[in-house]
Amino acid sequence: MAIDLNFDEQQQMIRDTARSFFDQQSQIHLVRRYRNSEDEFPRELWGRMAELGWLAMGLPADHGGFESSFLDSFALSIELGRSLAPVPYLENWIGSRLVAEVGSDAQKAALLPGLASGELILTPAIIEPEGAYGACGVRLRASSEGTGFVLEGEKALVAYAGSAERLIVAARREDGGLSLFLVDPNSSGVSLERTPNTAELPLYHVRFSRTKVGPEDLLGGEGDRSTALHSVQMRAAVLQAAMIQGAGERLLDLTADYARMRVQFGNQIGKHQAVQYLVTDMVIHTHNAGLLALNAAWRIAGGMDFLREAAFAKAAASRAAHSVTFASHEVHAGIGFMEDYDLQLFTRRSKHWEFNLGDTRWCLEQALAA
Amino acid sequence: MGSRAACDGNARLKMVDMLIDDTPQLIAWRQEVRGFLDAELPGGMHFDFDFDEDPDRWALYRAFWRKVGERKWISLTWPTEYYGLGRSVQERYILQEEFCNHGVPAHPVIGLPVADAILRLGTPEQRRRHLKGIAEASVVWGEGYTEPGAGSDLASLTTRADRDGDYWVINGEKTLGTAAHWCEWMFVLARTDPNSKKHAGISAFAVPLNLPGISMAPLRNMADGQQNVTFFDNVRIPADGLIGDEGQAWNQVWFSQGGEQLDPPGPAPDPWLYRLQRMVALIRRFVRETRRGGRLLWDDPVVRLQLAELEMGVEILRMHTRENYSNVVTGRMRSGSPILVAHLQQAWYKEQWPRMAQLAMEVVGPMSQLQGGPGAVLHGKIEQAFRASFGNHAGGTSQLKRMVLATRGLGMPR
Repeated sequence: MAIDLNFDEQQQMIRDTARSFFDQQSQIHLVRRYRNSEDEFPRELWGRMAELGWLAMGLPADHGGFESSFLDSFALSIELGRSLAPVPYLENWIGSRLVAEVGSDAQKAALLPGLASGELILTPAIIEPEGAYGACGVRLRASSEGTGFVLEGEKALVAYAGSAERLIVAARREDGGLSLFLVDPNSSGVSLERTPNTAELPLYHVRFSRTKVGPEDLLGGEGDRSTALHSVQMRAAVLQAAMIQGAGERLLDLTADYARMRVQFGNQIGKHQAVQYLVTDMVIHTHNAGLLALNAAWRIAGGMDFLREAAFAKAAASRAAHSVTFASHEVHAGIGFMEDYDLQLFTRRSKHWEFNLGDTRWCLEQALAA
Repeated sequence: MGSRAACDGNARLKMVDMLIDDTPQLIAWRQEVRGFLDAELPGGMHFDFDFDEDPDRWALYRAFWRKVGERKWISLTWPTEYYGLGRSVQERYILQEEFCNHGVPAHPVIGLPVADAILRLGTPEQRRRHLKGIAEASVVWGEGYTEPGAGSDLASLTTRADRDGDYWVINGEKTLGTAAHWCEWMFVLARTDPNSKKHAGISAFAVPLNLPGISMAPLRNMADGQQNVTFFDNVRIPADGLIGDEGQAWNQVWFSQGGEQLDPPGPAPDPWLYRLQRMVALIRRFVRETRRGGRLLWDDPVVRLQLAELEMGVEILRMHTRENYSNVVTGRMRSGSPILVAHLQQAWYKEQWPRMAQLAMEVVGPMSQLQGGPGAVLHGKIEQAFRASFGNHAGGTSQLKRMVLATRGLGMPR
């Protein structure tokens, strides 16, 4: 068969369904409503996404999931990005994948059905205040004590921790290995502090102070989990890149419309080459990042090696997340700087996405290391 | 050819001198300014009126400027009969440079350009009436230029001022008025000749903001500041609210031409230098003090390059202000630099601000997105600087500056 970079019918259907779903259900006023909101995300929207089966895609069938290509999640992620939907999709995707891929049978049975139905939120707590990405950045200590463990350390940028039933905490063991623990954020020895941020998302600083966890909370039992964690995170990074692509496409529409409509000096500003270069920068960055992400997604869906391609995809997407919003601000100038205008919502979210799961520099280094 | 010409040019220069404090008096003056700032603001004052709505900080800021006003340092170079001290451009430059170096924000909103216009264009009565408040910092003036349809293309403004006996009647809408809700007066550009087009027929007015018919709607900007829409609905001001000649404001106010030059013109280090200098100083401190992945960021070669880029950016901005200063004190230019250099400087600054803010965010890494709380770097100041950097369009976009630089500066076809 000839090379074909178009989605198949299934993925196109998901994308079309998601486009009209989010157009109706997650309009921009909903995004505004959840800026720095106490209730962290719209449960009703989340419930409808679950009804459509979007949270169960690719999870094991015997635990409430169904078989689905990674490209399906990829197609959905483009639309999640386009709508700036304020939901913990990516966090839950990472959480459910970790449980599905390294969890024990008991852990899977306990957690996966709730994750697939949207009733349960799991969020990863990986990065620490030092801000170093990847397994090397994990310094939170897990010491054996009796049959269980004691956690000591801090995590940063933990998203939706206030709504999560469990955090998946990456911790360093005495032997230097990396373990993952399921921790109830309401248990004693865990304290959450919400940290205000550019994107106005529910991000938390989480302190673990002699936090006791049982042997049943060690995700997947003994053994180093850094490879599994990296694999899941790099796949999530591809979904994050898809979100950046979707948001970039929508922002391009908004900006090109403005350049066509806004008249200064008797002409539409879009007639000026200086403005045309900015608008075309937006499409170039978005398009290229989208292509690299599609390549990585295709390799993941086909069971091929993907770490290098995923790293390039997120590196390009992180750069696009900034370049695209920057160019849009240059075109909009005064009006784009105002809170009432929608551009700033993209700028804010893009900043979180740019750093989430690896910034450009770290991803480029990962691409060479892969 | 090119290098030969450059060599000849250099040979003709008697001496290149980067020193500003070249007399004992100027050295002593800088010490005096430093002494005042060290005493008044031991920790500096980190306030930017464009991007701050905190009433306590506004109060501190205005109180500080009143202290500057008590010393007549706002009116340092104005004539003594108009609340000034008649001091030199050099002294004013040194004062403002020290204010920048101490992280002191600019004089409130547009008081200084308004004072310049009133000194040049106002009647003696208008000068007496308005300049005292600016010199004492007791009255803050806001900008009434931009309109929804007139941004970079300011000359397309449509706000009208019609003569009615001893009054002017103003009708229209001004937008993006930075901090207008903190201001007592507004300097308004309006069309006095309804049949005029573009630059002709525009006049300038001093308008107290407590008059009937004036209303405001807030426009929050994305860096925590407030700009405003100000509506003028049959606002009546006395005839002497007109500053300068009727219909001549484009040249007289926008291009600062004409009138009696009572305050010697000359450039000043701008708030943008202060903003970027301060941001880069914070980044340097962060890089010197912070360990990531087992090593000091100062020892990370990529971070070192990023920091050096940032510091070079500030160095260029600093030299732009000195270039303007040199042109004035050597008498080469009346006020600052030739149009080519002026637009080069503005284009460069406007492009560098968001670039440098982004670079600073990249140096700090993922924690840079936090605005406060545990884990926030430098109390979220870099994050705030990043959001503020999208305010780089104020006074015209960089694309506009480049077009003027290309056409008027370099003679490219229009």
